[in-house]
Amino acid sequence: MFNQRVPKKEGFLADQPAVPEVVRRSRYPSRLTVYAEAPDVEVSIEEFEAFALDRLQVLRSIEDAQLRAKGEDDMRKRICEALDKHMPTHTNRSKLPARQLMAERRKDHVSHFILRLAFSRTEELRGWFVRYESALLKHRFREADLAEKQELLASAKLRLAPLSPADRDAKLGDASHFYAAQEQLFEVDFERVLDLVARSQVVLRAGKAYVPQSEVATLLIHEFRLSMVRALGVCAKALPQMGEDERLLPVLQNLSNQTARSEYQSSGAAGAVTADSIDDLGPSFPLCMQHLHAQLTRDHHLRHGGRMQLGLFLKGIGLSLQEALVYWRRAFSAMTDDQFQKGYAYNIRHNYGTEGKRADYTPYSCHRVIMSNPPGPGDHHGCPFRHFSAERLRAALHRDCLPDAEVREVADLAAAGHYQVACTRHLELRLQGRRRRLHQQAADSAAATAMPEPLPAAADPEVRLAAITSPNQYFDLCVTNGKSPAAADTTAILAGAPK
Amino acid sequence: MSGENDDKMVVDDDGVSEISPMTLGQYYQRLFPHALYYRWLNYNSKLASTEFTHREFSFTIKDGIYLRYQSFKDSEEFQRELARLSPSKIDIGAIFTAQPKHAKSLQPGVFKPVSKELVFDIDMTDYDDIRTCCQGGGICIKCWRFMTVAMHVLDRALREDFGYTNIMWAYSGRRGVHCWVCDERARKLDDAGRKAVAGYLSLIRGGAEQGKKVNLSQRSAHHPHIVRSLEIVEEYFEDILLVDQEILLTRDRWTKVLGVLPDEELRQTLDAQWSKRPDRSSVEKWSEMVDAVDKRAAKRGSKFGLSTFERDMMLQLTYPRLDENVTTHVNHLLKSPFCIHPKTGRVCTPIASDQFDSFDPFAVPTLAQLLREVNEAGGKISAMAPHIAVFEAFVATLSSSRESAGNQPSLDF
Repeated sequence: MFNQRVPKKEGFLADQPAVPEVVRRSRYPSRLTVYAEAPDVEVSIEEFEAFALDRLQVLRSIEDAQLRAKGEDDMRKRICEALDKHMPTHTNRSKLPARQLMAERRKDHVSHFILRLAFSRTEELRGWFVRYESALLKHRFREADLAEKQELLASAKLRLAPLSPADRDAKLGDASHFYAAQEQLFEVDFERVLDLVARSQVVLRAGKAYVPQSEVATLLIHEFRLSMVRALGVCAKALPQMGEDERLLPVLQNLSNQTARSEYQSSGAAGAVTADSIDDLGPSFPLCMQHLHAQLTRDHHLRHGGRMQLGLFLKGIGLSLQEALVYWRRAFSAMTDDQFQKGYAYNIRHNYGTEGKRADYTPYSCHRVIMSNPPGPGDHHGCPFRHFSAERLRAALHRDCLPDAEVREVADLAAAGHYQVACTRHLELRLQGRRRRLHQQAADSAAATAMPEPLPAAADPEVRLAAITSPNQYFDLCVTNGKSPAAADTTAILAGAPK
Repeated sequence: MSGENDDKMVVDDDGVSEISPMTLGQYYQRLFPHALYYRWLNYNSKLASTEFTHREFSFTIKDGIYLRYQSFKDSEEFQRELARLSPSKIDIGAIFTAQPKHAKSLQPGVFKPVSKELVFDIDMTDYDDIRTCCQGGGICIKCWRFMTVAMHVLDRALREDFGYTNIMWAYSGRRGVHCWVCDERARKLDDAGRKAVAGYLSLIRGGAEQGKKVNLSQRSAHHPHIVRSLEIVEEYFEDILLVDQEILLTRDRWTKVLGVLPDEELRQTLDAQWSKRPDRSSVEKWSEMVDAVDKRAAKRGSKFGLSTFERDMMLQLTYPRLDENVTTHVNHLLKSPFCIHPKTGRVCTPIASDQFDSFDPFAVPTLAQLLREVNEAGGKISAMAPHIAVFEAFVATLSSSRESAGNQPSLDF
C-alpha cells in the first residue's frame, strides 16, 4: 500500500486556482469520499506519523463532542473546529490552488488508511475506529454542498428505487401521513437503515422501510460502516505480515494506544480492599455505585445489570475474588448457600476470569453505563444523571448536603444531556465542600487558640477536574483529591497561623 | 397410587416433587415430540444440516450443573443424550461456525455464532411495580392478561411491520412468554439488527428511579406502530388495570400513579379528593383523573405533558415490557419449548396465534399429570395432544414458506 514507487506526476498541479472540471478528473476528484481505494503514493515516515496523529485528533474530538456538546449545533461547531485545525479539506469551487486541494485530500486518504491498519489490531479498537470514522463521514456529508452530496451518493451505488405516488398510496395508505406530503420516499429492506428503525423514524411494512430523502445519508453511512468492518477484518489478517518492517509497527502500536478513552486501568491492586471495608469506602463512590450499594443493602438483592456494574467496579478498586465472594454472599443474606452457589457464585468467578472464557473483565466505563443496556422496571443500574427522573436526581444530590444552587447546577447539566459533565461537577462540588469544611474546622481551632487576626482566605477551594469517564476514575479522584490535597491545605492553613 | 406395578411412578398433584432424573427420563423417552422438534431445528431439510449439527444446546442436569456447548449430529444422538442425561432444563443457543461440542479445541476467533431465531422474552416480574395481585414468581389469571396484550401487540408488529411469518409463541412454564421468530431473514440478523428491532418494539424506558417511562415526541406518537399498539392497549386497559388490578384502589396504589403526573397541584387535589372517598372504584377515579388532567391541560397548554398524560399512562401500564438483553445478542440462550419448568413442573407449550386470549397457563399439563396419564391410559397422551397439534401446525408453516423462498427480499447489500 505504501510502497516505494515514484508517484504519478500530477501534471495539472499548479499554484493557480483549481479548475473544478480538471480536479474532477484527478486522483482525488472530491473532498467527500468513502475511501474505496487505498492510495498508491509515497509517504515519508515523518509524514506517516504526523498525518495519522492529526486524524486521530479529529476522531477524538468527535468522541469528545458527542459526550459534551450542548445540542446539535454545538456538536457541529466543535467538529468543524477540530477539522479546520488538524485536517481541513476544501471544495472544488473554493478557488484554492490545485496543489493545495490535492495535498489536503492526499493527507485525508493517507491518514485514513494508516489508522485502518493501526486500529485493526483488536475487536475493541476496530469498533472505536468504525464508530468515529462513520461519525466523521456523517458530519462531512451534512456540511457538503448539494453537488458534492449528489456526486457521492451517485458514486456510492446505493441502488435506491424512488416510490411513485401511486405506490405510496397503495403500500402505505394512511401511514404515509407520517411523512411530509411532498417528501420523496425510497423503499429499502429495513436491515439497511437500522438506526432509523431503532428510533422509529421510518414506517415499516412487510420488512420494507420507507426512507425519506432527508434520511438518505443514513443509508450511505450504513454501507460505509459495513465496508469498513469488512476492510478492517482484512487489515487485521494482513497486520502480522508487516512484522518485517520494524519502522512501521511501533508507530502503529503507538497510535492505537492513544485512543482517548481506552479502558480504565485498575489502580487498586487486588487485595487492597476487603469485604469489610466496602461500607466505609461507600462515600467515595460515584452516585451510580452509591445507589447500587444502597439498594443492595436495602433489598439484599440486585438484578443482573446491577450486579455486573457494581461487581466489576469493586473488582476495579481492588476487591479480590475471595473477598468478592464473601461480600456478595453476605449482601444476599436472604438466600440459602445453595441458591447463592448455584445462581450467583459462577458469575462472580466469571467476572474474575476463572470461569467460562476466562477473560479478565474490566470495570464498565461511563460510556458503557450510559449507552448500553438501559435499566428496565425494577433495575437499579445505569447512570443516575441519565436514568433518574429529575426529582429523584435532585433528592439524591441533596443527600450529599450540597447547597440548593449547586444541586440545581448539577441537575441542569444532567437535564441538558451532559451526564458525565454533571457527574464531574458533582465531584468537584463535593470536594470543594469538603475543603471548605476542613478550612472552617481549622479556622475554628485557630479561633479557639484566640488568635485575633482573621485567617487568610482558604487557598482557593475551587476544584477543577478532568472529565469523569469511568466510575472507577471518580473513585480514584475522590480518594486522592479528597485526602492528600485537602490534608495539605489544612496543614498549610495551620502552618500559616500567626506565630 | 398403588405400587403394584414397578414401572408405574408414584404420582401426586404437586407437579414439582415429581421432577427427578427418572421421571424426566420417562418424559423424554415417551412424551417429548422428538420428530417435530428435529424438523423444526433442522428446518425441514432431509439430511441433518448445520442448522442442527452446529446448534448449541445447554443442559441443566442434577445438582444444578450447567453443561454448555452441547451439540448433536442428528436426531438419534439428541434423543439418546436427552434420555441419558435427563436434563431438568434445555436451553437453545445459536448456530455456530463449527460444532459447539468442539468449541474448546478451536481458536477463539474461529468459533463464532452465525445465526439464531430472533427471540423475545417477556417476564411477569417486570410488571411487579404495576400488578397488585401477585409478586415475583407468582402469577394468576388476572395478571396473565398482561401477557395476552403483549402477544397481540408484538405479533402484529412482527408480522405487519417486519413481514415475518414463521412465528412461534411459547409459554415459559411459569410466569412469562417467549417468542421465536424463525424466518430465515430474522435468523440472519446480526446483533445490531436485533438491537434495532428491539429498540423499535420497546416503549417503556427507565428503571426503578424513573417515574414516567413513556415519552413520545409528537412525531413518534403518529408512527403507525404506536397508533396500532395504542388501539390494542385501549381495548384491554380498563379491564386489566382498573377492573382486575384496581390500581387506584388504596392510597398506596394511587400515590404511585399520581407520582407520574407532571403537576404538583393536581396531584394534591386528586389525593385529597380520593382520600375523602377512598371506597370508589379505580374506574371512577381514573375518569376523574382524566377529566381533571384535561381541564388543566386546556388551561396550561400542551407544553407540560398533560394533554398526552392519559395516552402515555395507558401505554406505560399496558404496553409489553421486553427483556431486551435476550433479544439483542445472537449468542443468548433461551429455554426450549417442551421443557418441563423446574419450579412448576409444567410443560413449556407453544401458544397458537389465535389463542392469545383463550390460553390458560393453569390448564397446561404438569409432568405429574402426564405421567399419570401414560401409566393409566397405557400410552394415550391426550393432555399433550392439543399442544403438539399447535407445534405441528407451526412446523408445517416452515416447509411451506421454504418452498416460496424465492420471494425472500434480497440481503446481498
